[in-house]
Amino acid sequence: MLELLPHLLHQALFGALAAAGFGVLFNFGFRALPWCAAAGALALAVRTVGQDLAWSLEGASFAAAIVTSCSVSLLRRQLGPACNAVALAGCIPMVPGAFFGQALLGFLSVTAPNLVDAEATLIVAVQSLLRVIFTLGAIGAGLLIPAQLLKNQDF
Amino acid sequence: MEQQQDPVIVRHRELERIANMALRAGRIMMESGASVSVVHAGVGMIARGFGVEDVGMRSGYASLEITVHAGGNTITRMMQVGRLGVNHRLDQAVRRLAVRVSQGGMSVDEVDAEIGRLVRETPRHPAWVVAVAVGIACASFGRLLGIDWPAFAAVLVAGTVGQYVRHQLLHHGVNIFIVAGLIAFLAATLGGIGSILLKSGTVSLAMMASILLLVPGVPSTNAQTDIMDGYPTMGSARAVWVLMIMVFASVGVWFAEALLGLRSL
Repeated sequence: MLELLPHLLHQALFGALAAAGFGVLFNFGFRALPWCAAAGALALAVRTVGQDLAWSLEGASFAAAIVTSCSVSLLRRQLGPACNAVALAGCIPMVPGAFFGQALLGFLSVTAPNLVDAEATLIVAVQSLLRVIFTLGAIGAGLLIPAQLLKNQDF
Repeated sequence: MEQQQDPVIVRHRELERIANMALRAGRIMMESGASVSVVHAGVGMIARGFGVEDVGMRSGYASLEITVHAGGNTITRMMQVGRLGVNHRLDQAVRRLAVRVSQGGMSVDEVDAEIGRLVRETPRHPAWVVAVAVGIACASFGRLLGIDWPAFAAVLVAGTVGQYVRHQLLHHGVNIFIVAGLIAFLAATLGGIGSILLKSGTVSLAMMASILLLVPGVPSTNAQTDIMDGYPTMGSARAVWVLMIMVFASVGVWFAEALLGLRSL
């Protein structure tokens, strides 16, 4: 397990940087940005542990979103109604944008002239697209379920 | 003169001012990234804070409608909604205002003035700070995807330049889908050329990481939230918008890969 630690720390660090970077884009205040970074680090750490345990990307993302949403809910007193937004910012690094791009590029490739092995290209594109749909669904459900059950306030 | 003193007309005018002011608050929340259920709750809180008995709302992708009923009078009003973005601080400020209004004690003029003040004075990070932060985020995304360190530097620069140019284009009113295509082409080309010059072994991945600033993460989760909250029309509209953005972004990457000889047109 110890040999996995550097990889885990790497993923958590860059998850934190990605979440904080997008937090700036979303106009979070400077006081909220460290919470975004912490949420990003937690989400990526949980997802990495899940994937190291041979879970699917979708399953690991669902677990990560649930843990992040629950953890942020515990900080409701400090964060107030912004806690749901912080959890969302933390999960942004898990949004499978690269798979989305690969899926669409794959579909574009299928229409290219003189395509070799069209079936394989199409299957890879469909796999990527399904992965995007299921992962986005897992993140959304993972964020929403604890927020609903724990009755996080929006105001 | 007689018409102005007609109590029904006077009450309608009052209701109209309340409805328009509540819609204005709702429009800002929606344009700042709030989900439909939050917008409806906020607008309802504001309207009820002025004694409105019943509030009915409908949200489309580009408009909000409200029906308010009080003292036997009912009116319906609609308001256009602009481009949907994300502005956390403004969204939270309007939510706090909705709570204050719901507790009573504010006039319509005071609330209108406060909304105007929030729009004018809610701080935003400078464009260059946002650009650098997005560059760092794209490069970090890249590391999560597996790019090497030479590509990290290239993606950082490509993401920073891409975000800065995107900000300028959107500020000048260029269509958001065209912006997505152009920025994808620009960022992917810069990321690709930089990676090649820095002798990276992950050029294709770096090009993809360079465009991750365009991935609409909040709208895609809002789409799901809206559907789960019982607003499938709005959720579907958001999902289609996300798909269109990604189609334009992918075409931009496609042309960039063709330009660098990584793919034939």
